[in-house]
Amino acid sequence: MSQTGNVLVIGAGIAGMKASLMLAGASNKVYLVEKLPIIGGKVIKNEESFPNLECSTCMVAPIQQDVLQNPNIETLTYSIVEKIEGKLGDFSVVIRKKARYVSLTDCIGCGMCYEPCPVSLKNEWEENLIDRKAIYVPCSGSLPNVPVIDSEHCLKLNGKEECNLCVESCAFEAINLDDSDEVMEIKVGAVILAAGSSTFDLSSLPNLGYSTLPGVYAPMEFERLFASNGPTLGEITLRESEKIPESVAVIHCAGRKEQKYCSAVCCMYSFKFARFLKHKIPSASVFNIYSDVCVPGKNYQSFYKSVEGTDTEMLYTSSIDEVQVSENGPGLKVTYSDASGSMTELNVDMVILAAALVPDDDAAELAEIAGVDLDSRGFIATVQDGSGSMETSREGVFVAGTAEGPKDIQNSVIQAESAAGQVMDIVTAEVSGS
Amino acid sequence: MKEFEMREAGQDKNLRAKVGVYICECGPNIAGKVDLDKIIADLSQLDDYQDVELVVKKYGFLCSGPGKEFLEEEIRSNGYTHLVVGACSPRDHDSTFMGVCKKTDLNPYLYRIINIREHCTWVIDDKEKATEKAFSYIRGGISRVLRQSELFEKPLDINPDVLVIGGGIAGMEAALSLSGEDRRVFLVEKTDHLGGISLDLSGLLPGQGEIIKNKIDSVTEDKNIRLFLNTSVETVIGFLGNFEIELVSIENAETTDIMAGAIVVATGSSLFDPGESAHLSYSESDEVYTSLSVEKMFSGEGEARLRSGKKPSSVALIHCVGREEKNYCSGICCSYMMKLAGFFRNQSPDIQVTEFYRDLCLPQKDDQERYTEAEAAGVEFVRIKDISIKGTEVSFEKMNSKKSEQSFDMVVLAPAIVPSADTEELADLLTVPLDESGFFQEVHKMTNPVGTSTDGVFIVGTAHGPKGVSDSMQFARASAGQILTRLIPGEKLIPEVKVTEILEAYCTGCGNCLDVCVYGAIYSDDSRGISVVNEAVCRGCGNCYGSCPSGALRTKHFTNTQLYREVDEALR
Ligand SMILES: Cc1cc2nc3c(=O)[nH]c(=O)nc-3n(C[C@H](O)[C@H](O)[C@H](O)COP(=O)(O)OP(=O)(O)OC[C@H]3O[C@@H](n4cnc5c(N)ncnc54)[C@H](O)[C@@H]3O)c2cc1C
Ligand SMILES: Cc1cc2nc3c(=O)[nH]c(=O)nc-3n(C[C@H](O)[C@H](O)[C@H](O)COP(=O)(O)OP(=O)(O)OC[C@H]3O[C@@H](n4cnc5c(N)ncnc54)[C@H](O)[C@@H]3O)c2cc1C
Ligand code: SF4
Ligand code: SF4
Ligand code: SF4
Ligand code: SF4
Repeated sequence: MSQTGNVLVIGAGIAGMKASLMLAGASNKVYLVEKLPIIGGKVIKNEESFPNLECSTCMVAPIQQDVLQNPNIETLTYSIVEKIEGKLGDFSVVIRKKARYVSLTDCIGCGMCYEPCPVSLKNEWEENLIDRKAIYVPCSGSLPNVPVIDSEHCLKLNGKEECNLCVESCAFEAINLDDSDEVMEIKVGAVILAAGSSTFDLSSLPNLGYSTLPGVYAPMEFERLFASNGPTLGEITLRESEKIPESVAVIHCAGRKEQKYCSAVCCMYSFKFARFLKHKIPSASVFNIYSDVCVPGKNYQSFYKSVEGTDTEMLYTSSIDEVQVSENGPGLKVTYSDASGSMTELNVDMVILAAALVPDDDAAELAEIAGVDLDSRGFIATVQDGSGSMETSREGVFVAGTAEGPKDIQNSVIQAESAAGQVMDIVTAEVSGS
Repeated sequence: MKEFEMREAGQDKNLRAKVGVYICECGPNIAGKVDLDKIIADLSQLDDYQDVELVVKKYGFLCSGPGKEFLEEEIRSNGYTHLVVGACSPRDHDSTFMGVCKKTDLNPYLYRIINIREHCTWVIDDKEKATEKAFSYIRGGISRVLRQSELFEKPLDINPDVLVIGGGIAGMEAALSLSGEDRRVFLVEKTDHLGGISLDLSGLLPGQGEIIKNKIDSVTEDKNIRLFLNTSVETVIGFLGNFEIELVSIENAETTDIMAGAIVVATGSSLFDPGESAHLSYSESDEVYTSLSVEKMFSGEGEARLRSGKKPSSVALIHCVGREEKNYCSGICCSYMMKLAGFFRNQSPDIQVTEFYRDLCLPQKDDQERYTEAEAAGVEFVRIKDISIKGTEVSFEKMNSKKSEQSFDMVVLAPAIVPSADTEELADLLTVPLDESGFFQEVHKMTNPVGTSTDGVFIVGTAHGPKGVSDSMQFARASAGQILTRLIPGEKLIPEVKVTEILEAYCTGCGNCLDVCVYGAIYSDDSRGISVVNEAVCRGCGNCYGSCPSGALRTKHFTNTQLYREVDEALR
């Protein structure tokens, strides 16, 4: 088969992986490009996923394995797409495979090389809650389980000092400090953009105290704090004081007003957090401060009802945009207007902000490279013909998952399979017809 | 159970075999943490079996290219009957070594990988203990492999055609995505027309109205779609790739037999009956309507009038009718109620429109802007704690506990989206379970929302749960994607090999196992008075194993003898 049966998928989160597996199953050759050294996306940051609080690793690891072992999928980790030219059925794509310095085929993931590395810096994947070395895997359980060397911080690679410690510690001769970027050109018939999303920049909301008050957390920070493979091995302790919080407020809709949309998942993950907190700290008091509960679909309200009143007290505020978080001795004070409009204070040890899902930092750049339009909010736009088509403004280029807008795992998977279905339907029809 | 074990163990006496045991050093990962030479010496001296020859060797990296070639050559030249590999997790390399076996004459099910890395060397610091454990594991593995049997893949011919049940927007989209020169679609609709609920809706999302009409035309014109109107599905038997289906005409009871490889269920939904709500009391003559009947007024007459023929000058839109009772939020009503508010305002710009809601659920990315626009246009939004409605008198309690009453010309209710009438019957027919809300249950909520536990049966549109037109169509295309991937014209399907079998002589036909199997793989053969496993459907999950009082069930590759003998030897 020519390039017709080849598909480029950008982003190896749940959406990108599911789309790739479906296409590969129908004997299409898939190039799956992921910018991080590992695949899995955001879901693997969460120990458990709503609505069933199912173990995310158990859910995603088999999918990751299937992707890595599928002979029809060429997974290019630590890589970026630089150019997409051509048209439906005949795209030329330029991909840069960044130097990893560790061989994906020779390394067995034993981890012997981390310890000797003298460099230590914040691990971004762990939301900067713990340190990593210059040679590292983002987290335990990473797939592929092969480290990468951060060339910016490696003493040898940034030219600061002679160092060869990791090379010496590797019995498999898997490390090559002379590795360099590789640029490859491929031909594909269609493209699926599944590059995911990010969360709202909470430091732009001074009233909520994020980044100034150490007890205030972003949701992903809390996910990592809860995760048993995370920085605290799953122990929920506060930044700086290392205390176990006895009272926690989860404040909904952070960034909703600014973004002008409801993200539809933050209520659910807020309730999940309440369950997590009560599970690990049974004596803790947990409050959810909210204006609206958005639990769409057949499975969600029952989860909400199961936490309401048991795991968390629900505190209604008539104005979610005006909630204030301030310092209060060693703890925090949350001020909000209650149902009757009068200002109420709540003293807590910890605050978690339910941040909106927003376009990824490099969404605009990706759109530019892919030659597709963004919508008014900065997500990748679909044709908007009312059919829920996943096709973008450029024929042959599709989008799926949270790259298109906020959504949960279920809808990300549906869009991925829907996009893959469209690729198989349209692209093959187009080419056989012409 | 003991008795059954003895039956199986009977063969032990005449075990005759030549077993190759290969231990991977995995660089220092295994070789550095255990005394490999001791393990090899001890294993070579095993006198557990009379007529079994053991050849024990080690190798640097068995999974490497040269390692695999080495292993392949060893199997060939030594003529092993069985193979044990002591290495890493089966997650990493089980398939690698099965692949090596497949290149030789050795049946891959006569090989076993033993994880002495993650289970021994990576978790035990004491070299002596690690050595001891690795030895025991491998000894157990040898014992197990000797009891394993050859298994063979049995490729099945498939039928690529598809049955779609329900001719709403979801069913039509599935049919259109699937139909082609090499794949026919049978589209069965119980009413006399295509379109489903969407036909009665007015002013859907931009473009949607056109879409529905276009889809109806496309379906009607598509020569690869065979349309059965006024028809229902009578019986279904079979499995992915091969379903036999009987259709029956609702008009004249005539039946048609068809064959299909997959079934897409797109039977839609209906509305909660507001009469079941304790908060409402009204009679036929009151000016109280469901949202759907108002949608029909707008889409039919283009306007909504009272029974008197006058246009209403005040309307109350009541959200969440039945949400409490059903315990789920339908997720689309807030949004379409704002759409209706807009229609009322277009019809009479001075009209007073009040929306009574409990929570605003605005999950689609455009929803909130529509709300902001509605509010700016003068629609009043009242968040309530409680509400009761008598005719067109609305009594409500606001969040601040203030109680009020208000009277309106017209009251419009947004009833919850509930499963359609035939759901239970159809679920039975297709052996698909229903979920806690009464909709068809997906096989996995997150990773496979369109699949069901009956492989080959898919659920799309509102048959899966409440959703809007675009999402319904996305579900439809996702199911089409799965079918396009699984049922490729001309290709065969390879079902699971490690399936369960029922030993006829021991089965009393009690039927216990039938209830346990969630995949509906077991059926009772009344003529023989026993239960039988359909191997094409069985996934080898083993759920049924424990349910049989007479020990008649055996899951291939996981028999009691295999498991017990492995454990016995490992713990010796
Ligand atoms: C705090 C929090 C908790 C959540 N909890 C749940 C839950 O419990 N249950 C649930 O259903 N949903 C939950 N969600 C939502 C869920 O995370 C998303 O639905 C899901 O991750 C979307 O998957 P995706 O594949 O679209 O995107 P992602 O998971 O974001 O994956 C995108 C991938 O693309 C890669 N990428 C990005 N840009 C590029 C590029 N330019 N080139 C190459 N690769 C690129 C990224 O590195 C990433 O690997 C939660 C969200 C948040 C924020
Ligand atoms: C009042 C109201 C307003 C709405 N407004 C909007 C809106 O503005 N925008 C939007 O996107 N969505 C809206 N929706 C939702 C939209 O109606 C649904 O998403 C859509 O109709 C779902 O399509 P479907 O094909 O799944 O089901 P349906 O439209 O219900 O079609 C199901 C079809 O299956 C047939 N059927 C049922 N049982 C059987 C059987 N046993 N055998 C054979 N055939 C069978 C039925 O006759 C029907 O033709 C609204 C819904 C309501 C109730
Ligand atoms: S690079 Fe070498 S030392 Fe590091 S994990 Fe891989 S194999 Fe082990
Ligand atoms: S060479 Fe670089 S990565 Fe390796 S140990 Fe030294 S500083 Fe660390
Ligand atoms: S999902 Fe909940 S928390 Fe998130 S924006 Fe919507 S209403 Fe607010
Ligand atoms: S092993 Fe599982 S799938 Fe097979 S018959 Fe038993 S219960 Fe059913």
